[in-house]
Amino acid sequence: MTHQLKDGGQVLNVGMLARVEGEGGMHIEFEGGRVKEVQLNIFEPPRFYEGFLRGRKFTEPPDITARICGICPVAYQSASTEAMEAICGVTTTAEIQDMRRLLYCGEWIESHALHIFMLHAPDFLGYESVLEMARDHPDVVQMALRLKKAGNDLMETVGGRAIHPVNVKVGGFYRMPTVAELERLRPALEQGRDDALAAVALVATFDFPDMEQDYNYVALRHPDRYSLERGTEVVATSGARFPVAEIPQHVEEFHVAHSNALHARFDGGMYFVGPLARYSLNFDQLSPATQEAALQAGLGETCRNPFKSIIVRTVELAYAFEEALRILDGWRDGHAPSVPVAPREGEAVGASEAPRGLIWHRYRIDGEGIIQDAQIVPPTSQNQASIENDLRTAAQQWADLDDHTLTHRCEEAIRNYDPCISCATHFLDLRVKRS
Amino acid sequence: MTGGQVLVVGLGSPDRGDDAVGAAVAARLEALGMSGVDVVTREDPTQLVQLWAGHQAALVIDAVMSGRPAGTLHIREVGDAGEPLPTHAFAAAGRGGSHAFGLAGAVELARTLGTLPTHVTVVGVEAGTFAHGGMSPEVQHALDDAVATAAAELVALREEVQSCA
Repeated sequence: MTHQLKDGGQVLNVGMLARVEGEGGMHIEFEGGRVKEVQLNIFEPPRFYEGFLRGRKFTEPPDITARICGICPVAYQSASTEAMEAICGVTTTAEIQDMRRLLYCGEWIESHALHIFMLHAPDFLGYESVLEMARDHPDVVQMALRLKKAGNDLMETVGGRAIHPVNVKVGGFYRMPTVAELERLRPALEQGRDDALAAVALVATFDFPDMEQDYNYVALRHPDRYSLERGTEVVATSGARFPVAEIPQHVEEFHVAHSNALHARFDGGMYFVGPLARYSLNFDQLSPATQEAALQAGLGETCRNPFKSIIVRTVELAYAFEEALRILDGWRDGHAPSVPVAPREGEAVGASEAPRGLIWHRYRIDGEGIIQDAQIVPPTSQNQASIENDLRTAAQQWADLDDHTLTHRCEEAIRNYDPCISCATHFLDLRVKRS
Repeated sequence: MTGGQVLVVGLGSPDRGDDAVGAAVAARLEALGMSGVDVVTREDPTQLVQLWAGHQAALVIDAVMSGRPAGTLHIREVGDAGEPLPTHAFAAAGRGGSHAFGLAGAVELARTLGTLPTHVTVVGVEAGTFAHGGMSPEVQHALDDAVATAAAELVALREEVQSCA
């Protein structure tokens, strides 16, 4: 798929990216040995979620937006419930927050285990797919399936289903799981924690391309815990720090012709959300065991090599198991599953840390609780400019490689982000021009 | 569950049109109360790889699309006793995202990892729609035939297991 142009240029074109969620491609153009143009093409069709949320009840987004993604539905549920509760002036209980965090741990475990071992590890071990990798590394694939199953079971116990949970509502849950139901998960969670901590050392042995980027990392920050299901502030490498409610004043979405997903700017510039951002901004809030595993794996307290995101993701996988066990330890039966929420007119932002990074929703509802406006900004769309910048750097840095190897290296640079194209294309600003 | 039991898996999403047929047939089989049989339903095909471990025989009911009329039944033996599936049947499984990982990918991953039962029979029901909502009239109409066919296959699998025991 690579060919020379008559003007001496060269095009690397991958029509359909492998091992990413959803449909996208990439296009890199050289001229005179220099990278001239880079495009992450997202051609998966737009899905218009924001449009059809208008006119629906304020209680519906947790179920409707969960359908945007089969891998990170909880991220959508958490951001939408946060926003609606903020509009309605409701504060949930500590137990509801704990249960949301536990459900979110299930999603991180499912999603991270899938990406680390099934989609990303084949890049480093030299296989086209996990099916080929399984022949030589059956133990690793068995472990991955075990980890993913532990996440699925946690989602099913707390959320009612392993995919697209149905137990989440504005104000809390329809039903709280019992101590007995949760305790059944404990052996698999303990095994998962130990497996994941061991896996940090395993993935650290991979051979990592040498590339560091000067990212402006952006992540949620919570006063006393590593941000998953919520945070109170947004923090950035640039020094920016502000309450979640002010996100729309700092983030501007815009359309580019080659993508069906909106791009975004943070304070006017490119930015990066995801595990590397969380880790680098909130390292101090990881547990002692995961901090130690990370440092022993050779990471510093920050990491700017995108290829090492697989180590950071594995550190977060171990942390999610630890957090799940911590919540299990303190759980008691008898807590109210939800608090009442009455609609009131207003507008607010809700945010959480999806497996792939900061996700935020903004809603405006009227006094009857009918949605007047909705904006959903998932991590992959925010990362598009950063992905393209990594592609530019990688293509230039390894321009001497043969076309096949360079193309593969560039695909790896995209997979570093674990992009979820299905999420990113849930929107498009559709305008009809009439003459 | 034990290796002496035949594992029945109804595969698919209960909310996506004819994809619900796997769970619907599995529920009807469970209601028959046959001995030596365990019945489960799953949405995520990757879970089959572990579910199958330790079983000599399994039956999977799933919606399929081959271009035949909706409601058409397909029966296929894909167990470890037979040949691997042709590469094109599962190539997308490892190279796409998780959305591309289907039954064929699960069969071949399980074969590689040594968890594929000796006998796995797939009863496929040709689907007409995967839109949100209930099953199409064609697939609803085919439900009795699908249950009868699956039950007959299940009896054969159970005999296979018992003759080996």
